[in-house]
Amino acid sequence: MRSKLLAAAVACLSLAACGGWKSGQANSAQGNISKDNRPPATAKASVVTENGMTNTMVMLAVPLPKDRALQVMHERHEGMEAIGDANKALHRALGSSDIPTIRANAARIAQLSQQASTWFPAGTGPDVAKTRAKPEIWQNADDFASKLRAFQTAARALQLVAGGNNVAAMNARFAELGGACKACHDKYRTEESH
Amino acid sequence: MPRQISDGGKSLRQVVWDLPVRLFHWLLAVLIAFSWWTVHHHHTDWHIWSGCAILTLLIFRILWGFVGSSTARFSSFVRGPRAITTYWRGKWVGIGHNPLGALSVLVLLFAVAVQVGLGLISEDEDGIYMGPLAGLVSTDTSDKARNIHELWFNVILALIALHVLAIVYYRLRGKKLTLPMITGRAEVAPGTSPIRRGKWWVALICLAIGIGITRWIIAGAPPFSS
Repeated sequence: MRSKLLAAAVACLSLAACGGWKSGQANSAQGNISKDNRPPATAKASVVTENGMTNTMVMLAVPLPKDRALQVMHERHEGMEAIGDANKALHRALGSSDIPTIRANAARIAQLSQQASTWFPAGTGPDVAKTRAKPEIWQNADDFASKLRAFQTAARALQLVAGGNNVAAMNARFAELGGACKACHDKYRTEESH
Repeated sequence: MPRQISDGGKSLRQVVWDLPVRLFHWLLAVLIAFSWWTVHHHHTDWHIWSGCAILTLLIFRILWGFVGSSTARFSSFVRGPRAITTYWRGKWVGIGHNPLGALSVLVLLFAVAVQVGLGLISEDEDGIYMGPLAGLVSTDTSDKARNIHELWFNVILALIALHVLAIVYYRLRGKKLTLPMITGRAEVAPGTSPIRRGKWWVALICLAIGIGITRWIIAGAPPFSS
């Protein structure tokens, strides 16, 4: 009886873990990408060509003077916070299919993502002032730049799809945008402290 | 069918914890460790999953506390201050949670339940992940919940430390508590009334209800969700 109970309990627990906690959202949305008329590859290609400015990362070799650095760091902090706020609002709007709110916040994130190109000049690291930006950003400048571009591309892709009415596609692009944010934050941002 | 235990005054090895209680205990321990590890290694999705699994375990344990084996039932171990005093004077006899340990069980269950509740309505700082019920509250509330969720973990850590210290203390006084939580069997004083075992299919029903409620919450708890 005991082994039967054990087997059943294990089976049930694994069953509980099988579904998707976001099953109604990102997961199923990803399955619905095909509903979007535009194949993802094409969408991304068009984004890259549309944003000639995207690739102009400001990565000056000469560090900024301190007062200018602090100014940039402040702007960066406020900008990142604004992106976070917009993303939170967007996430909730996706849950209720509130397309105007999705659209407004997708546009805001896309716009801020372009500004982000100027947020990481050399000399704005933790040695200058309190920041969660890791020194690795400037040690792996190429990798960081490509991750920032991926973010800008994903933000633009979401903005494009938010212009339509396909919420499933918006969910898919939102998941990709989250992945782009996370890829950079996991590697180049220190943990939140309280 | 009650079994009379008498062996000329010697203590006997007897079942004190049923399998569901032991599974609950160790799965909870593992999942709390897993939740901590995942959230510090950027696996927020696994972290949320782990929390949902803990929710299922909690629901199961609460139900099993009403319909399970005798030593699993709240009615058998939740006692008032008088019983705790009696226990403190060394006059308590019985199997299962002693009156003081019972407090620890309740406080631990409560602390974990609070933690799960906070997690359900939390969102991460970037708005990439939302707890299953975060959509029911404002962004501001979600962010506050996350901050408290992080701080509350210290309460859980302190309770775990107290729990482990108590086990070490008992061990130094010659009472082993860890092995019985693995094998289910412990030395008990002769004449102690034995465990009344719960039914295995009742345990499965409790688990099914736990999974059912958890899945409903994962779905955003309709009809409350949009």
